[in-house]
Amino acid sequence: MKIDKKEVLRYLGYKNQEIDNSLIDLIEECCKEVINICKESFVYEIFDIERKDNEIFLLGSTLILKDNDIINHLASSKKCLVMAATLGVEVDRRIAYYSRIDITKGLIMDACATTAIENLCDELQTHIMEKSLEDNLHITNRYSPGYGNFSIDNQSNILNVLGAYKKIGLSVTESNIMLPRKSVTAFIGLGENVNVKPNDKCMNCKNTDCAFRKDGGYCV
Amino acid sequence: MEDIVCNNIDFNNFLLFDGAMGTMLEKYGLKRGELPESYNILHPEIIEKIHMEYLGSGCDVITTNTFGANSYKLNNTHYTVEELVGSAVRIARKVAGDNLVALDIGPIGQLMAPLGILSFDNAYETFAEQIKIGAREGADIILIETMTDIHEAKAAILAAKENSKLPIICTMSYQSDGRTLTGTDPITMVNVLQSLGVDVLGVNCSLGPNEMLPLVSEILKYSRVPVIVQPNAGLPKIINGETVFDITPHTFAEYAKLMAEMGVTILGGCCGTTCHHIKAIKNEIKNLNPVKRDVQRITAVSSSSLTVILGEEIKIIGERINPTGKKKLKEALKNNNMDYILEEAINQRDAGADILDVNVGLPEIDELEVMKNTIRELQSVVNLPLQIDSVRCDVIEAAVRMYNGKPLINSVNGKEDVMEAIFPIVKKYGACVIGLTLDDSGIPSKAEDRLKIAEKIVRRAEEYGIDRSDIIIDCLVLTASAQQKEVKETVRAVELVKSTLGVKTTLGVSNVSFGLPQREILNRTFLAAALTAGLDAPILNPLSKDMMSTVNAFNVLWNKDKNSKKYINIYSTFEGKTIPKEVSKNKDLNKIIIDGLKEEASALTLELLKTMSEMDIINKYLIPSLDIVGKKYESGEIFLPQLLQSAETVKKAFVVIKESLILSTGTKLSKGKIVLATVRGDIHDIGKNIVKILLENYGFEVIDLGKDVPTDDVVNAVREGNIKLVGLSALMTTTVRSMEETIKALRENNLDCIVFVGGAVLNEEYAEMIGADYYAKDATQSVKIAREFFKCV
Repeated sequence: MKIDKKEVLRYLGYKNQEIDNSLIDLIEECCKEVINICKESFVYEIFDIERKDNEIFLLGSTLILKDNDIINHLASSKKCLVMAATLGVEVDRRIAYYSRIDITKGLIMDACATTAIENLCDELQTHIMEKSLEDNLHITNRYSPGYGNFSIDNQSNILNVLGAYKKIGLSVTESNIMLPRKSVTAFIGLGENVNVKPNDKCMNCKNTDCAFRKDGGYCV
Repeated sequence: MEDIVCNNIDFNNFLLFDGAMGTMLEKYGLKRGELPESYNILHPEIIEKIHMEYLGSGCDVITTNTFGANSYKLNNTHYTVEELVGSAVRIARKVAGDNLVALDIGPIGQLMAPLGILSFDNAYETFAEQIKIGAREGADIILIETMTDIHEAKAAILAAKENSKLPIICTMSYQSDGRTLTGTDPITMVNVLQSLGVDVLGVNCSLGPNEMLPLVSEILKYSRVPVIVQPNAGLPKIINGETVFDITPHTFAEYAKLMAEMGVTILGGCCGTTCHHIKAIKNEIKNLNPVKRDVQRITAVSSSSLTVILGEEIKIIGERINPTGKKKLKEALKNNNMDYILEEAINQRDAGADILDVNVGLPEIDELEVMKNTIRELQSVVNLPLQIDSVRCDVIEAAVRMYNGKPLINSVNGKEDVMEAIFPIVKKYGACVIGLTLDDSGIPSKAEDRLKIAEKIVRRAEEYGIDRSDIIIDCLVLTASAQQKEVKETVRAVELVKSTLGVKTTLGVSNVSFGLPQREILNRTFLAAALTAGLDAPILNPLSKDMMSTVNAFNVLWNKDKNSKKYINIYSTFEGKTIPKEVSKNKDLNKIIIDGLKEEASALTLELLKTMSEMDIINKYLIPSLDIVGKKYESGEIFLPQLLQSAETVKKAFVVIKESLILSTGTKLSKGKIVLATVRGDIHDIGKNIVKILLENYGFEVIDLGKDVPTDDVVNAVREGNIKLVGLSALMTTTVRSMEETIKALRENNLDCIVFVGGAVLNEEYAEMIGADYYAKDATQSVKIAREFFKCV
C-alpha cells in the first residue's frame, strides 16, 4: 500500500501555500501510521446482466439498477462486476482517537485514509482489468452509489449481495453511511466495446460546487 | 409456556453440529441478496430438507435458519422476528427427533457505538427478542456465532442468560492475523466469554481448518469450558467471478480429527461445508475418545483487544482517575470535561500503566451517569483494561455490565453485607475483584488476622461460583506517620496471603507516606519491600518516575524482565539530569500562535502571567493572533491543517489561563454558551470538532453533545442550559433530514434559540429550507456567527 502525499494535500484543501517541514513530517508520519494499521480487504463478484424496460437486472442476485446514470455507465457492458472494499475499523478508531487529542493529526489521518481507500480501489480495478483482458473483455471505470443520480439507497442491498458484513466486516447504517468509514462500493462494466474514460465520474456529477472539481480534480 | 431446559447435554463428550445453511440454500435457489430466513415462510420444505440431509449425515445438532433474523436486518422487509424465528425453530423441532436444535444467533450487522451507532442496550434488546421466541418454541441450545465484536457478543450472552435457561455456545470469527475484525485475540475472547458463563466457546467461519489450528491451540490452552470449532471449507477463492470453497470432505474431516485429538469436543462446519463434510467428520471421530486437557488458570483482566495477566511481570494499576485530593479532576467531573479525563488516561498509559482505576465518586454529581459515560469514552480511546472503583453497588453493576471486556472491580471486603452485594455482580458479569482485608472490626493489625479475612473472602467467593483466580487480595497499606509499627505487617500479610491462598495481590502503595515530607522516598522504598514480598499489581501514580523506576528495576532483579529488554529500552537513552526548558525572552506569543508551535504555548503563557492579567493575554495576544490566522485562512494564504495548528496552540495557552483564573478568582471564562451536535444518524464529527476548538479559542463555552445525537438530547440540553445559540452538523443528504427534524423540535418546544448549520452537502438555500438561521460554510464562519450573536468585539 502506498499513499500519494500530493493526493493527501489535495484532500486537505492545499492550494500551493507555503508549508514548513514540521507539517510535511507530520503528513509523512500520518501516512506511515495509516499504512501500518489499515487492513485492506475487498470482495467482488461478476454477474451477467439482463436489460428490461430501462432497468438492469444482475442475474442470480436481487440487484436491479434503475437510475439513469448507472444505466448509462453500463450501456455497452455485457457483465457487471460489483465490488466492496474497506480499510477496516482500526483506521476509524485511530482517526477518532486523534481528533480527540490532536485534531490536526486527526484531520490529516482522515485525508491519508481517504487517499488509501481510493488507492486500494485503483489497485483492485487494475487487477480486474488485467483479469478481464484474459477473457478479451474490457472494463469501464468504477461507478459508486452517490455519483450522479445513482442512489445511495442501493448500498444496503449491494452489501447483502456480496455478503460484505460477514466477509470483510462492512456494514451500512439506516442513513446509508458505510462503516468502517473508509470503504467503497462500486460497479464496473465488462464488455468487448467498453473503455475506461478518464475522470468521467467527476464530469457526470451534478455537484457543480465541488471544490475538487473546480481544479479539474475528482471527488470520491 | 415454560422454557424447555436441556441440562443433560454433555459438552465434554463429542457433539457433532451440522454444516452451512447458506451454502445449501444457494444450492436450492436462494439468490444473492435474498433474505435466507424468508425461506422459513416461503419454502419451509427446503429448510426441512436441508435439516434432514444433515441429520442423515449423522450430526447430533441442527441449527435453525435464523442467522440474520433480527429486527435490524428485517427493518425493510415485511417479515417480523416472531414469524421468522418462530417458524424456523418449529421446522427444526419437527424433524429433529431425539437430536438437538440450536437457535442460531448471528451478529446484528451493525457496528457498535462509538464507532458505529448500535448501542449496547439496543443490541441487548435485539438479541433478547430472538432468544425469547426461540426458547419458547423449544430450542435446546443458544448458538451465538460468527461474532467479530466481543462487546456485541457480551450483549448477546447477557440477553441469553437473562431471557432463557438454555445452555449457551458462543463463537467468534478470526482473520488470518489472529484477531477478529474489531481486534479481539483468542486469549481475550476466552478470558471474557468463559467468565460471562458460556457453556461452550470457540471459533467459526472466515478461515479454513488449517488457518484455525494456531487459534484453536491457543484457545484450548486457557479455556476452562469445552471448545467448539466450525471452520469454513477452506479460504474463499474467486473463480470466474464467483466465491468458492474447495476443501474436500475428506481433508476437512482429517483436520477435525486433529482438532479432536488436541481437545476440541464440539465440531461442525461453516461456509462451504455440506452434509458430505459432516458425514466425513462423523466417520473420522467415531473411534476417538475426548481428550482431557490441561488448562492454564490465569488471573487476567481484558479490554476488548488486550489481556493483562497478573503474576508475570509486575503490573501497574494507574490511580490518577480518582477525584480524592485532585482539584482539577473534580472540576473536570463537575463540568463533564471528558477531554481532561481522557488525557489523564492517555498520560498514564504512555507512562507505563497496565490497568486504569476509574473512580468518579463526587457528592455533587450523578455518579451513575458520569461513570457510564466515562467508561464509554475510555474504552473507545484507551485499550487498557479498566478497574471499576466505586462504593456504590449500582454504579459498579452498571459499569461492569456495559464494559467491553473483563473488568476488575474495586472492591469487596470481609463484611458479610458487602460480599452479599458484590459477589453476585462479579459472578454474573464475569469480573475480577479486589478483596480488602478488613471487616466490621476494621483493619486487623496482625498479618495473620488479615490472612483470616482474605481466607473468608476467597471461601465466600467460591461459594458464589467465582473462581479463586479471579480474586486479587489487597492487604491494605497503613500510614507510617500514624501506625508505624503496622507498616511491616502489610508486607508480611502479602507474603502470607500469597503462600497460603495462592491468589494475586495488590496494594495502594502511596498511603504509606501520608503526612510525612518527601513522600516519594517512603513510597518507593515501601514499594520495593512489598514487591519482594510478592506484590503483583501495585496501585500507584505511573507518572511518578521514582515509582516506575522501582518497578522497572525490580522486574530486572527478580528475573521477570527477561534479558532486561524493557529496562534497556527505557533507560539506555535516558540522559540523567533533565534541565527545564528555558523560555527565550524574545519569543512572541503572537508569532508562536501564528506559526502553530503548540509545544511552546504553555510555558510562554505561564511566563506572561507573571506580568499580565489573564484577560490582557486573551485580548492582546490570543484573539488578535487568531484573527490574523483566520484572515490568512480565508484569503487562502494558509490551509486547514495550518489553521488547526494555530488553534491547538491557542488551546494550550487557554488551558493555562483557565487554570490561573480558577485559582486566582474562582471564575470561569465564558463569552457565551453554545451547544454543538452532529445530528442523529450521522457519525462524521471532525468538522464539528474543528468548529468546537475554534469557538473555544475565542472564549465561548461549548457544550459538545457529540455525534449521532438524538433530537431530544439537543432539545433538553438547550432547555436545561438556557442556550441561545446552537450549531448542528451533518455530512450526508440522508442525515440533513435529522437536522431538519432537530430544528423543528427546537421550534416546537418554543426554545428561543438561533441555529447555525454546516456540513458538506449544505449550502445557503438548503440551510434556509430546513429552517436554520445561519449557514456556516466553514469553521471560521461559525466563529463570525458566534461573535456577532454574542456581540463580541
